[in-house]
Amino acid sequence: MDAGVVTSSAPVSVSVTPPRHASRAVAGRLDGLRGVLPAACVIVIALVLGARSSPYFLDPGALLLHTGRYVEIGLLALALTIVIINGDIDLSVASNVAVSAAVLAIAHRAGAPIALSCALAVLTGLVLGLVNGVLVAVVGLPSLVATLGTLAAYRGISEILLGSDYIGDFPDSFAEVDRVMLFGTSAEWPIPLPLVVLLLTAAAFGFLLQRTNFGLRCLLTGSNSAATRFSGISIWRVRVQAFALSGMMAGAAAVLIASRLSSVSAGIATGMELPAITVVVLGGTSIFGGRGSILGTVVALFAVMAVREALAINNVQGETQDAVIGLILIASILVPRTVTRLRSRLVRGRVHT
Amino acid sequence: MKRFLQQRNLGIFAVVVALFAIFSAIEPLFATAANIERILRGIGILFVLAIGQMMVVATRNIDLSIGSTLGMSAMALAIVAKDHPSTPLIVLVLIALAVGTLAGVLNGVLVAIADVPAIIATLGTLAVYRGLVFTISDSGTVEAQFIPQAVKRLAVTPMRSMSWLVITGLIIAAIAWLVTQRTLTGRRLFAVGSNPEAAQARGLPVTGITIGVFAAMGALAGVAGVLYVGQYGTVNASSVGIGFELTAITAVVVGGTNIFGGSGSVVGTVLGCLVIGLLDNGLKVLRVDSFWQQAAEGAIILVAVVADTLVRRRQDLRRALTRRSGVAWTPAS
Repeated sequence: MDAGVVTSSAPVSVSVTPPRHASRAVAGRLDGLRGVLPAACVIVIALVLGARSSPYFLDPGALLLHTGRYVEIGLLALALTIVIINGDIDLSVASNVAVSAAVLAIAHRAGAPIALSCALAVLTGLVLGLVNGVLVAVVGLPSLVATLGTLAAYRGISEILLGSDYIGDFPDSFAEVDRVMLFGTSAEWPIPLPLVVLLLTAAAFGFLLQRTNFGLRCLLTGSNSAATRFSGISIWRVRVQAFALSGMMAGAAAVLIASRLSSVSAGIATGMELPAITVVVLGGTSIFGGRGSILGTVVALFAVMAVREALAINNVQGETQDAVIGLILIASILVPRTVTRLRSRLVRGRVHT
Repeated sequence: MKRFLQQRNLGIFAVVVALFAIFSAIEPLFATAANIERILRGIGILFVLAIGQMMVVATRNIDLSIGSTLGMSAMALAIVAKDHPSTPLIVLVLIALAVGTLAGVLNGVLVAIADVPAIIATLGTLAVYRGLVFTISDSGTVEAQFIPQAVKRLAVTPMRSMSWLVITGLIIAAIAWLVTQRTLTGRRLFAVGSNPEAAQARGLPVTGITIGVFAAMGALAGVAGVLYVGQYGTVNASSVGIGFELTAITAVVVGGTNIFGGSGSVVGTVLGCLVIGLLDNGLKVLRVDSFWQQAAEGAIILVAVVADTLVRRRQDLRRALTRRSGVAWTPAS
């Protein structure tokens, strides 16, 4: 087989030389849309229950105001969707946020302009993401193990960088970006700037996954990495790129979180990887790769938000909220599987009678 | 295969010896009996959790909920001890064990019967069980004065200079070694992990084995819960067992267990725990800034798994080469 022909035709357009399992990847895209269903149901149920317990719950202004802290989880989840579709996982994202935020804060303390500090943070995230990608796709470590290691190592780096310091006093133009509203604070629908950032990033990721060769390669890699490799796609490059994206989003999330909290410490964003992974899985992305959608992740993010807001208005504590989200996560896998199983049993029963 | 495993354990053993030699060369205080006992006591809980986790990982599963399970059983024990101060020790221990086992069985049922991937099922129960810790304790703390002396003595009373914390760990390691190396059940764990479909086709009770291994993990998390109450003497809902799952998985991975299942050794896992314990204690004894410890732990994990992967790759290469030469040789004959 002439490998040169295959590799040279791949970047032009995948439709020119469709790999044999391309139809499966297309089916994967449709499947991803079906995966949105559980999260969409959760949103409706949460909004109805919330509205029943308080007449003030469905006030769009108040709901939108609370989106700030979910945006950071959302940014991580968007890139994680790609990583997980590839069949990998990135547990180090929250620690990466901590290092990127530490770099931002230290650059700011050293007198760098805030825009430069932010750029450095995103760059740091990107580099750490690349390190993950190299460990996984080039050295060949299982992603779960490699990023478990970097989860500890990156958190360690942020502790070395910051010690027990809290770095704050950011300029007013940077601090509390989540209070900046798109149409002004007094508008009827005050839309926080971070939410706009999230939606634009989501649109970009959706385009990347659905409309580019990179997205198709990700779905192919996740659904059958061996077949994908034999069709001339360098899967290691796809995987490294996905980890780099994940790192970059961690850098971006670091900028937003530093701005929202107006203060950076070594323990920032601890444990944020779990809610991010939860959002991705709740959005219908298969944890084994090959199937998933950005739309699902976005809908799941709003589902988590709706559930938490509905619980919060009923004075339910944070850890109990976590528990409810955990139950929903399990149910989102369990219920569709049980329904499929029951349906196939019913169909079989009908054939027999 | 067995020699291969032993060879792999040799590598980790070398790391343990090297760490010990380096630390005691720099700081004579490190190699004292009292400090070694301190190191062992420090990893007593980790020991119990990591051995359970190794068995779960061997079946190609993972249990992320063990920190919360430990929390539940520790909290259940503490609350019963507080509300009924006259409860005998054995009943308290049994309560913790029962709570842990129940949690483990639920995980097992979700994974084996409901067919939810282990990483998602236990990510969910991690949150659910933590929520239960808060619910049963009313978001609070059971203070040290309510914990009976009998429980606290588990961690401090030396029995021939070793506390129960260490002895329990060693006993459990011995039992786990016997089970994995010398019984049919143990062989089946690895069979299920290395090829679940083949194990199913071969007629192995895959569902039962999976539920069983999660139940055992839960019971061990219950034991760890008892040890936790003994060691810390107080139980706080928002700190008990937080993040223990990651350290346990780290010990398992450093111990050379393949995260994709089918392999794993108790000896390796014990050595993996020792690496973490030595590093933790050594850096403290050398008065290294505590901010460096996390980074050192991360670095050692990465070094261990990279080394492991390279060794494995060389083995695969050698195997592939032998196979190829065999193919080339056959038609000639």
